[in-house]
Amino acid sequence: MADVRIAGLQKYYGAVHALKGIDLHVGEGEFAIFVGPSGCGKSTLLRTIAGLEQLDGGTIAIGGQIVNDMRPRDRNIAMVFQNYALYPYLTVYDNVAFGLRARKVVEPEIKRRVDEAAAMLGIGPLLQRYPRQLSGGQRQRVAIGRAIVRQAQLFLFDEPLSNLDAKLRDEMRGEIKRLHREIATTMIYVTHDQVEAMTLADKIVLLRDGRIEQLGAPLDLFERPATGFVAGFLGSPSINLIPARLVARGNGAAIALATGETLALPPGRTEALAGKAERQVILGIRPQHISRAIGGKMPSGVARVSAKADLIQPTGTRTFVTSHVGGVAVTVELGAHDVGAQGSAVDYAVDLNRSILIDPETDKVL
Amino acid sequence: MNTRPALAQRISVASDRGFKYLMIAPAILILLLVGIFPLVYSLVVSFQNITMTEVDTSFAGALNYVQLFKDSRLWESLLHTALITMVALPLELVFGFLLAQLFLERFPGRQIFVALLVLPTVISPIVAGATWRLMFDVRFGPIGQILSFFAGEPVNILWTVNPSFVYPAIVVCEVWQWTPFMFLLLLAALSNVDQSQLEAAEIDGASYWRVLRQIVIPAITPVIAVAVLIRGLDLVRIFDIIWALTEGGPGSMTETISLYAYVIGFVQFDTSYTAAVAFLVIVILTAIVTIALRRMEMVR
Repeated sequence: MADVRIAGLQKYYGAVHALKGIDLHVGEGEFAIFVGPSGCGKSTLLRTIAGLEQLDGGTIAIGGQIVNDMRPRDRNIAMVFQNYALYPYLTVYDNVAFGLRARKVVEPEIKRRVDEAAAMLGIGPLLQRYPRQLSGGQRQRVAIGRAIVRQAQLFLFDEPLSNLDAKLRDEMRGEIKRLHREIATTMIYVTHDQVEAMTLADKIVLLRDGRIEQLGAPLDLFERPATGFVAGFLGSPSINLIPARLVARGNGAAIALATGETLALPPGRTEALAGKAERQVILGIRPQHISRAIGGKMPSGVARVSAKADLIQPTGTRTFVTSHVGGVAVTVELGAHDVGAQGSAVDYAVDLNRSILIDPETDKVL
Repeated sequence: MNTRPALAQRISVASDRGFKYLMIAPAILILLLVGIFPLVYSLVVSFQNITMTEVDTSFAGALNYVQLFKDSRLWESLLHTALITMVALPLELVFGFLLAQLFLERFPGRQIFVALLVLPTVISPIVAGATWRLMFDVRFGPIGQILSFFAGEPVNILWTVNPSFVYPAIVVCEVWQWTPFMFLLLLAALSNVDQSQLEAAEIDGASYWRVLRQIVIPAITPVIAVAVLIRGLDLVRIFDIIWALTEGGPGSMTETISLYAYVIGFVQFDTSYTAAVAFLVIVILTAIVTIALRRMEMVR
C-alpha cells in the first residue's frame, strides 16, 4: 500500500497543454476516481502516474518516493486497461501468471496466488481457456485477476467497465467495490460515468480541461459543488439551470425568473447574498428537489411554481416530467403516480433551501 | 393457370444463369489458353524427343524422366538452390525484423529513411546483380578498396570467381535487394501489435525477450508465414542476380535450377528434357506450397 502525491504536474502533447498544474494527494488505501468529460485529461493523468507517459513538469511520488524518471515496471503498480489488454496467445492461467513469472516468482507460489485470485473472481473454471474464448465480463475479471496477483502497491483502472453492457457494468461495479474492501490497496480509477464515480469513490477528482475543477467526497461534490460545471456533471438527470435575477425583497432576497415569477430565498441564504441584489444569476436546482405542491401554505424556503407537464417519462420507480419554468425546460423527478396526463397543469414546490446560485460570468457557486 | 408463372420464372432463372456463364466465358477462355494449355502441352512435350536442332518429334516414353534421376548436374543445381534459399531467407527475415523494430520508433525523417530503404526492392534484379558485379570488381570495385583500406594492404578477392567467395557474394546481393521487402511487411505487422498489451507487459515487468516471445512474435506470425512463403518461392526461382554475377560459375558451382533449365533449354536446345525438368520443379514447388499452407492453417 502506498499513497500518491502529485505536485504541479504539467503535460504537453506537442502544442496541446493536456495537464495544467495538477496538485493531488490520494491517501493510503483510498479509492480515488478521476472523472470528467472526454478530453479533460483524466486518462493522461492516470497514464502519467503509471509512467506510460512522460511528464513535462512537477513531481509524482508513490509511497513517498518520487517516480518521475522511473520506468513503469519499477513503480510496483498494476493496471487494468479499457480493452483489457489480455495476451491473446496465452491461456488465462498464463495471463494471470505473466507478471509473476516476469518477476521470477517460483512456480508453486505462482500457482497458489493464481488460484487464490481465480477463486476471488470466480474464474477458476476458465484458467485453461484463451482470451478469445471468453465473454467481455470474463475478460474483465481476468484483467483484474492479472492485476491483483501482483500484490502491487497501487492499482490503476482506465475506464475498465466502458466496454461492458449496462447490466454487466452494474455487476462488475459492485465487484470492484468489494475487491477494494477485501484487498484494501490504494486504487485510482478513471471513468467518464458519473454513476461509477459516485458509487465507487472515497474521493472524486473532477477534471476539466487539464485542471482539477473540484475534489472531495462524492456527496460533498454532489451537495456542495464549487462551480456550475461540477453541479451539471454530477447527478442524473442533471441539475436544472435557470437564468434569473437576484432582487431585494423586504429585508430578504428573492429570485426573479425571466417569465416574471419571484421566488423568495430562505432566510439563511439572504445574508450571504447581501449587497448582490440586481445581479444576474443562474439558479441551479436538482430534479429531486422539486416536488408536487400539496396544500396552500409552503414551508420556509419552498416556493410554489405553476407549470404544465409538457413531457412525461416514466421509468417505473420514478417519473421524469419536463416543464417550462422561467423560459427554460426543467426536469422534475416525481413519484411514479404523482403526475396526471401530458399537458395538464402542475403546481410544483421548489425547495430553494437546497438550490444553488451560480455566477454566470465566473461559473462559481455564490 | 398455376404453372404458367412458375414456368416463366424457371425460364428466366435459366437464362439468367446462362447469361452469367456467358459473362465469365472470355475470362475462363483466356485462363485456359495462357495457363492450362501450356502446362498440358509442355507435359506432352516432356514425353517426346524434341530438340531444337533436329526435326524428330517422336514419343520417347518416360525416357526424359529416367534421365532426370541420372543427371547429377540437375541434383547439384537443386542443392545450390536449396543452399541459397536456406541461407538468404533467414538472413532477410532477421535483418528485416531488426530494421522494422528500429523503425517502429518515431523519429524525424523516418518516412524518408523508409522510402530510401525500400529502393533496392524497386530495381530490377538483373540491374541489382550487374551493380553488385561492379561493386565486387577486383580492380575498380569499392568493396575491394574498402577492404584494402581496413586491411592496410591490397586485398584482391575475385568475388565472382573464387569458389570460397561466390556464394557469399550472391547471398549479399540477394539479401541487400530483398531485406527491404521483409522490412516493409514486418514494419506493418509490428505497428499493428496492440499497444496496450505492450504497455501491460511493461507494467508487469516483462523482459524484452519475454515480450518478443509471448506477445510480439505470436501476433505477427501470420505475416511472417506469408512473407517467408513469398520470398521462399521467389528464391527457388532465383535467376537474374546469379546470371549477372557469376552466370552459374565457376564451372557449374553456383548453377541453380532456373539457370540449369535455361542452359539446357536455350543454350543446348534440349527442349523435351527441359520440359521434364520444368515438371520436376512444378512438383517440388507444389509440395512446398501445400505443406506451407497446411502449416499456416495450423498457425491460425
